[in-house]
Order: sequence, then structure tokens, then C-alpha cells
Amino acid sequence: MNVYPVYIQSLASIYPQGEPSEGRFSACEPDYKEWIKDAGLRRRMSRIVKMGVTAGLQCLQNIPVKPEAIITATGLGCLADTEKFLQSIGSQNEELLSPTPFIQSTFNTIGAQIALLSGNKAYNSTYVHRAFSFESALLDGMMRLQAGDAGSVLVGAVDELTPTVFHILERMGAWRKFPAGEGASFFLLGNKKTMQTVARLVAVDMQSGNFSQEQLTQKQSDLLQRNGVSDARIVSEEMFKPICGEYQTASSFGLWYACTQLSGNGFVLITNSWLNNYTAVLIEKFTKE
Amino acid sequence: MDQLKQELKEALIQALNLEDITAEEIVDEEPLFGDGLGLDSIDALEIILILERNYGIRLTKPEEAKEIFYSIDTLADFIGKNRKK
Repeated sequence: MNVYPVYIQSLASIYPQGEPSEGRFSACEPDYKEWIKDAGLRRRMSRIVKMGVTAGLQCLQNIPVKPEAIITATGLGCLADTEKFLQSIGSQNEELLSPTPFIQSTFNTIGAQIALLSGNKAYNSTYVHRAFSFESALLDGMMRLQAGDAGSVLVGAVDELTPTVFHILERMGAWRKFPAGEGASFFLLGNKKTMQTVARLVAVDMQSGNFSQEQLTQKQSDLLQRNGVSDARIVSEEMFKPICGEYQTASSFGLWYACTQLSGNGFVLITNSWLNNYTAVLIEKFTKE
Repeated sequence: MDQLKQELKEALIQALNLEDITAEEIVDEEPLFGDGLGLDSIDALEIILILERNYGIRLTKPEEAKEIFYSIDTLADFIGKNRKK
């Protein structure tokens, strides 16, 4: 079977741009009116939906092709609307519940809104696999392109931080290594190299377990060896999480960071962890021609 | 009645998340749906909830909703005559 290569053609990210405040980062959000012009549509969207939709539309800006799949990922989904809906169930004795927070609290709202706004009726799917969410979406997109089922695929991840989740996960020790964070990062993948191509997506790896540092290093070496790569620069979470903070799809920002902030070309391995879940994304970065 | 209309406009702005619109900008006699404020069927559900939560009114004849929900004037008139709170 012919296996097509997978390239990153375009990318966009909405991420924190500043210092954390009281242990948490907040994404630096653009003026959403510029991207979601319909006020009627915009007023129903919560913050995470606007953030994800805008990052997706920014990624598709000036791109002549229409993606043949829209694949989104989120660790915890539309939290603000979920909290609003759940709180109203309690405070109103399960009666007279407002429909809007329920509609907007579903995980696939972001992918669906990108499809509606860009008039795209192709495959549309959302992965909600905690720390493996983004990598699962990336793998789905890669496999579609490698098999020739699609010529271009939009893949992205988004997570928001709310005060409730910040406090709950703080008690579980989730922010011990890095401040809490949030953001949205999208990538347009294609199987043809163009002048705009940023990198080649080589491999995605997901591992779950209580591994020692030596075991993780060995797994990274195995991944490089399996893909015929003798040497790769490492972009670890210590490099990108001081910028974006800790969240379940932070590795999507790590990929954006490796593609845009790292100089030079060659193989780059982006590594990430969340509790006992470890991921690695291997790319071959190009210098733009 | 003017106080009720003001209260109603503020409740609509909050419940429907009407960005960049102030209570003063909502004209009492203009249609709420379609050409006027541009509300839609999901907003109609939110208005039904406002009637029930804030004024204790339960709509029993859905066929009358179009007339009742036409404008702030018609809505305030209906609430004035039927409110239980």
C-alpha cells in the first residue's frame, strides 16, 4: 500500500503571552469580532468555543484548499458552560434549565462551529482522551493522509481553565511542576510539500505507566530508531510549559512552539507528560524556501 | 409598566448574552425576532424560561407565543396581565 507523507502546511495558536497570575496563565485572546463576524453566532459561544474556532479559522486563513476532515481534541471540553449547566441543575431543582449552556457544553461544539463557519461538510470528529486527546486527533489525521483518504486535514486542540477546575486540580497536585494554563493550537496537515510547508510529521507516540526517566529515554530512542532517525533535538515540556502552562492538551502548543520558535531545520522530538501519561511527536522541521 | 419593560430588557440582555446592546437601544415596539433584534427559536426557549422563573407564568397555548413574543410592548402587556410573582 502506498503510504503518503504528512506535512504541516499551516498553524495557529492562541496562548498565554505574559506571566502567570496567582499560579495560573490566561490565554491572550484576539478580538473575536474580526474572526466570528456574526454577532448572533458569537453571543452563544463561550470563551473556549471562540478561542478554538478562531485558532481554527486563523490556521485556514489564506489557504486555498478546503480540509477533507476536521479533527479536534480537548482534555476537559467546554468547562465554563458545563459548570453553568450543572450548577443550574442543582440550584433550580432540575427544572427550567437554560438550553444554551447545554448546547455549548458538548465536546464537539468547536469542530462543528469551524465546519459551519467554513462551510465544510467533511469528516468531523472530536477526541476527548485526557492527556492523549491531541495525539489521538493527530494520529487520526495522519492515518487519513497516509492512506490517501484525504489530501488535507485540520487538526487542533483546545482547553480552557476555569476557577473551579483550577482549585479542584490544585488539590490533586496537578500544578506542582508548572502553573495552570490553557490555549488553542491548530494545524493544517497535507500530503504534498509546498512552499508554505513548515515540517513533516513523522510519528506520534503515546505511553501510559509508571516509567523511570531511564525507561522514558529508552522509549524516545526506540521511537527515533523505528523511524530511521539517528539524531533529533528534544523540545521537552520544560521548554514550552513555562509559556503556555499545564493543561491536558498542552502538547499541541509544544508542537506549535517547535515549529515556530525553534531555529534551523532537522528532526525534532516534542515530549510531554501529564501524570503517568507520556507523549512524543516526531517532526522534521524545514527552513522555508 | 415602564419599570417592567426596563426589567425585561435587562433580563433579555443577560439571558441571551446580547453583546454591545444596551436596554436603551431596544425599541419597545420593534419586533424581537427576525428583522428587529434578530432573535431565533433557542432565544424563544430562553424567554419562556424568563417568564416562568421571574414572573411565574407558564405558557399553555404555544400558538399564542408568536403574538406575545412580538415585541417588548406585547411581552410586557402579557406579563402585566398574567404575572403571579
